[in-house]
Amino acid sequence: MQGGLLVILTDKLFYGINYLSGNEFISQLIMVIVQIMAIFAVISLAAIIQVYMERRICGFIQDRLGPNRVGPWGLLQTVADMIKLMGKEDIIPVKAQRILWGITPMLLFIPAALIYAVFPFDDGAVFVDLNVGIFFVMAVMSQSVLMFLLGGFASENKYSFMGAMRAVAQMLSSEIPMAFAVLAVVMVSGSLKMTDIVAAQSNMWFIAVEPLAFIIFTISILMEINRTPFDLVEGESEIIAGPFTEYSGMRWALFFLAEYANLLSAAILTVTLFLGGWHGPVLPGILWFLIKVFLVIFLFMWIRWTYPRTRIDQMMALSWKVLLPLALFNIAATGIGIYIYNWM
Amino acid sequence: MIQTESYKLSMGPVHPSTHGVLQVWLTLDGERILRADPCMGYLHRGIEKLLEKRTYFQCLPYTDRLDYVSAMNNNLGYCSAVEKLAQIEVPKRAQYIRVIMAELNRIASHMIFIGSLAVDLGATTGMIYPFRDRERILDIFNELCGARMTYSYIRIGGVKSDLAVKVISMIDDFLAKLTDMIDEYNDLLTGNEIFQYRLKNTSILTAKQAMELGITGPMLRASGVSYDLRKDNTYCSYEDFDFSIPLGEKGDNWDRYIVRLKEMSESAKIIKQALAGLPTGEFMAKVPKVLKPPKGEVYDVTEGPRGEVGYHIVSDGSAKPYRVHIRRPSFINLQALDIMCRGYLVGDVVAAMSTIDPIMGEVDC
Amino acid sequence: MQGKGLLVGLAVTLKHFFGKKETVQYPEEKIPMTEAFRGGKLLLDEKKCISCKLCAMACPNTALDLTVEIDENKKRHMKNYIHKAGRCLYCNFCVEACPVDALSWDKNYENSCYYRENLTYDAVENNRKDEKNG
Ligand code: SF4
Ligand code: SF4
Repeated sequence: MQGGLLVILTDKLFYGINYLSGNEFISQLIMVIVQIMAIFAVISLAAIIQVYMERRICGFIQDRLGPNRVGPWGLLQTVADMIKLMGKEDIIPVKAQRILWGITPMLLFIPAALIYAVFPFDDGAVFVDLNVGIFFVMAVMSQSVLMFLLGGFASENKYSFMGAMRAVAQMLSSEIPMAFAVLAVVMVSGSLKMTDIVAAQSNMWFIAVEPLAFIIFTISILMEINRTPFDLVEGESEIIAGPFTEYSGMRWALFFLAEYANLLSAAILTVTLFLGGWHGPVLPGILWFLIKVFLVIFLFMWIRWTYPRTRIDQMMALSWKVLLPLALFNIAATGIGIYIYNWM
Repeated sequence: MIQTESYKLSMGPVHPSTHGVLQVWLTLDGERILRADPCMGYLHRGIEKLLEKRTYFQCLPYTDRLDYVSAMNNNLGYCSAVEKLAQIEVPKRAQYIRVIMAELNRIASHMIFIGSLAVDLGATTGMIYPFRDRERILDIFNELCGARMTYSYIRIGGVKSDLAVKVISMIDDFLAKLTDMIDEYNDLLTGNEIFQYRLKNTSILTAKQAMELGITGPMLRASGVSYDLRKDNTYCSYEDFDFSIPLGEKGDNWDRYIVRLKEMSESAKIIKQALAGLPTGEFMAKVPKVLKPPKGEVYDVTEGPRGEVGYHIVSDGSAKPYRVHIRRPSFINLQALDIMCRGYLVGDVVAAMSTIDPIMGEVDC
Repeated sequence: MQGKGLLVGLAVTLKHFFGKKETVQYPEEKIPMTEAFRGGKLLLDEKKCISCKLCAMACPNTALDLTVEIDENKKRHMKNYIHKAGRCLYCNFCVEACPVDALSWDKNYENSCYYRENLTYDAVENNRKDEKNG
């Protein structure tokens, strides 16, 4: 395989380690650890950047400046916040079920991080290229609902519990239209493998082939990652952050981190499925990938700071009565389209 | 067999969307509301009692602190009650200035309403824009009387100071921009489908229910009852101005929002007319240094941004009122919360609470 | 058309994203206070003051505590002019009540402090301090 910039870099690193250690197996092992570390570094760094972005974008939209005091252009604001969160008192509600309550934030982080294993960041730069990649992503992504349920349940707080119930209802109703929207993409590309899906878009991005699927997918992914207009699980003005109500300090920060990791993976997924992944002229693949991902994140943030929140019944009605039939129709249309294409 | 049970949820007094320190006890069946009991008193300061120990002049700053987002209207209500009691004739110029300020304050108050409704529905940006625009009105008031919230500008017998040229030009500036501001709210909020879905056909309050509960102000008018003291019981030269009263049809959250939005333009109309026809003359009547109204009592009502602001003052002939009772519109309007919430969802409670637009300082007094 | 309002909303926020910002960079930039602004500490012009105590009488919340001294020439002058800013309503009644315009506001709005006692100050004492510092 030819490989993009990232692959060349990792190859160089591998040869270097191999030269030093002299043992193929040990250097393979070190490389795996390095790659896992790289994913975690990407997630944490991306969270910091996204929080900064979110605040700045929110500020600019609201005629304010956003954080601009800590560090140059306020870049270190998020770091300062992290330090503040670490220094906070760890409050455990008396009535909470301590063990469940304590492990939830950590558990939540697992699915959030796991998805990154199958994302193709660049030509050839994918941690494991599963042949059921997209299926794996959907399966793992929906796991996070369990943690919301656990957290809300273990807090012994009515608001948290209500948030947890909302989370379950919301995830169930967002998964299905999303799956059908993705199915259309899979039909066109003919593979579940993430790299194949990207490769199939080398000439034409799927947003042009499947515009309806793109819209359905964007709406349902917003539901999936609990962002406005579907942030019912948190719903600050109704149920005061829902499952997170009782969490503070570092535990809350983990929730926060997972949330932004999810936002990033949602953006990556959108780019991979519909916007041609790392494909693009002139610039190296990884740069194209980053540019597209951050544009999608900007879109999500822009939406968040413009719209009000929907109500729970309206959200369910939207996904079951509108998105699902549309997605089914889209699949049928895609099938017919493929048939006609092959026939010609 | 599956059994379901209702449960109680305490919303507030520390809750982001209870507009201060209001507690609402919700009885819920899942997310559906069976009952909503507002429980108030967390901001009680005993203002009515405090007024008994102060002279008529000294009472004024306390009325600022009732409904702190529309202090001018409270000042106006108090002053016209005392003037009625002591039979003081207010000069025409002062009356016009009072109208201008009361209407400006009404606009500012409705901006707060729009902002807090937006933020309660989760649209943070929808909050920032009206609050930013309200700042322009506060700038005018700051220039006029040196305070942004607690004006004490309308005094017994007139107003504190005459309208300076600078203030008039600031008001003109503001009015010129107001249409753009309202257009922006329309683009961002009114036209937004999510916003419409959230508000339309929720928390319906029929005209009959509203009248039975003694609801006044924009809430009553949203239910379709044309009742506005500025027209029906004119005071302070309101009869000189030409304006219309926006009415709703159904009495749902949407109507309450639209009525207030339209009232802002109507207020702007009144201000324009008042500025154009501003009479010359005194801005303060001759009021004795020590005011001792004759024995007796008086009840006077004015139309505040939230409804009828009424002052019942009992005088025993001394320099201090014997008893003051204040009819606070927020307090009475809040009683409709239960009717408005029953059968709707938790998300609607927040919207209903915003469209009632209670100010806790006024509810608890 | 459903969804048109959503797009219009996005256009509004995008316009503001690139538009002018309202933020005032506070400690570096300050909004000047208006002529009429009431706030900060009370300044007492002792040369003008005739120690009539009308200001204290006008105060609705007894925030002013004055002690008047009669010196050897039988002249009244202010010994202490204590303003309990914690009780003050900033209603301006004291300033308006003064027959000789001896009172004014210093318009310094940065008067927050850590302890409640620090809110109370003596305007006469402040004058002495100012004299000392020139
Ligand atoms: S401003 Fe009002 S409350 Fe404050 S000291 Fe003067 S009269 Fe008293
Ligand atoms: S009213 Fe004026 S002159 Fe009289 S004591 Fe107060 S400051 Fe002095």
